[in-house]
Amino acid sequence: MPFFRKKRLFILLIGMIILVVLIGYSLREREQLSMPEKFINDTVGWAQSVIHAPVKFVTNVFSNIDDLKKTYDENKILKEKLSNYKSLLYDSQELKKENEELRKTLKKTESIRDFTPIQATVISRSPERWIEQVSINKGSLDGVKANMAVITADGMIGKIKSTSKSTATVQLLTGFDQFNRISAIASGKNGKKIFGVIEEYDEKTKSLLFRIIEESDKDLKKGELVVSSGKGGVFPSGLVIGTVKDVIPDQYGLTQTALIKPAANMNEIDNVIVVDRNLETDDTEQKQEDGK
Amino acid sequence: MRRFYVPLILFLLMIMEGVALELLPDKLVGGSMMIVPHWVFIFLLLVAVFYDRRDSYISVWYAIIFGLLIDVVYTEILGVYMFTYAVTIYIIHGLSRFLQSNIFALVLFGILGTAIADGVINIIYVVVGLIPADWPWYFIYRLLPTIVANLIFLLIMYPIFSKRLERWSKEKSFNSDTFSL
Repeated sequence: MPFFRKKRLFILLIGMIILVVLIGYSLREREQLSMPEKFINDTVGWAQSVIHAPVKFVTNVFSNIDDLKKTYDENKILKEKLSNYKSLLYDSQELKKENEELRKTLKKTESIRDFTPIQATVISRSPERWIEQVSINKGSLDGVKANMAVITADGMIGKIKSTSKSTATVQLLTGFDQFNRISAIASGKNGKKIFGVIEEYDEKTKSLLFRIIEESDKDLKKGELVVSSGKGGVFPSGLVIGTVKDVIPDQYGLTQTALIKPAANMNEIDNVIVVDRNLETDDTEQKQEDGK
Repeated sequence: MRRFYVPLILFLLMIMEGVALELLPDKLVGGSMMIVPHWVFIFLLLVAVFYDRRDSYISVWYAIIFGLLIDVVYTEILGVYMFTYAVTIYIIHGLSRFLQSNIFALVLFGILGTAIADGVINIIYVVVGLIPADWPWYFIYRLLPTIVANLIFLLIMYPIFSKRLERWSKEKSFNSDTFSL
């Protein structure tokens, strides 16, 4: 019997070596997925989108019944809001027109605000809850590239982590760590802009940490909107990230950190828009395009 | 044809895991609890107990293949599920010789297996620095709900597949040597 035990130990050791090698391979800074991974993602993605439709139908039936109960109350509130929106819409259209004309006179037609939307549907969510990612049904064939921002109607939800031919993985804001920062602005009501960086998601307080760079921290109040600034060079500006929940000093007392409640609900993501910034992004992708 | 039933079901379960969180009510998912569906693992457990013979290790091979698939599709950190599922299923396969394969033994295997599998996955993630090492939190908010949820799934799957797997195992031809370790 000792022979068999040795064999067992040997296999376990080989298994551990393979594990370490594979983890090391996948945790290093990868620009792209390997070919087999892309192939598997495409194949499974196809099957997922087939399965997803009936499942979605069933869950929709239940949520529709839920919605029906709330309809009356919601309708009241919405009607009130709608009257406000009409005047707002007029204002924004006027401003947009004016902005365009001014830009034309300046001969500066492209801004970091512009982007091309790519519509996509979520086909699956990672069952491993530590890894906050979802898959969408658009991939590199549809023009999706890594590091693009992903938004819903409510606000930003994350960025593209990796792509295969017909699917892509989205890293959610709730899974952001120190390596994924977003340059952002909180715009106070008096028109003052407060610049800062969204650093990471804090699991305990369930909010994003927004570190304020400037010392104009006194102006930041609860409920103010935080949007992306576009200064990071990858995302366009003006994407809604969330609202300020609280402002706390950091552990050294030198800077202020605001807790941001994400605007979009991360647990119910269905239809998303991948944001393709019109202005060139300062990324390595530029080289690839030049090479064509 | 029948020898393809098991991998087909495993593949289907793997895809279903991706929409599992949508099937659960929003309160459970959005709350502080972290329920992880290990459905592929639960079915592998049934395969190890009812389908494998003593000297065949089909379930371990499937654990390696589908563990790797889960790694590729859902986490992008390769090897973690592959290693964990294979080792845990191997242990369960070894244990199933000592106990009769009735419902009580299976519940025991389910609790033990889910605990080992989920525990090892978390240990690996902590070691590579992906998540903070907060073990009391882990035990209360992730391990316990996960074991309960997967046990429920096991109790649903048991009456459907226990007899079928045994039958498929008998009908399977004797040339399964290609799969044995």
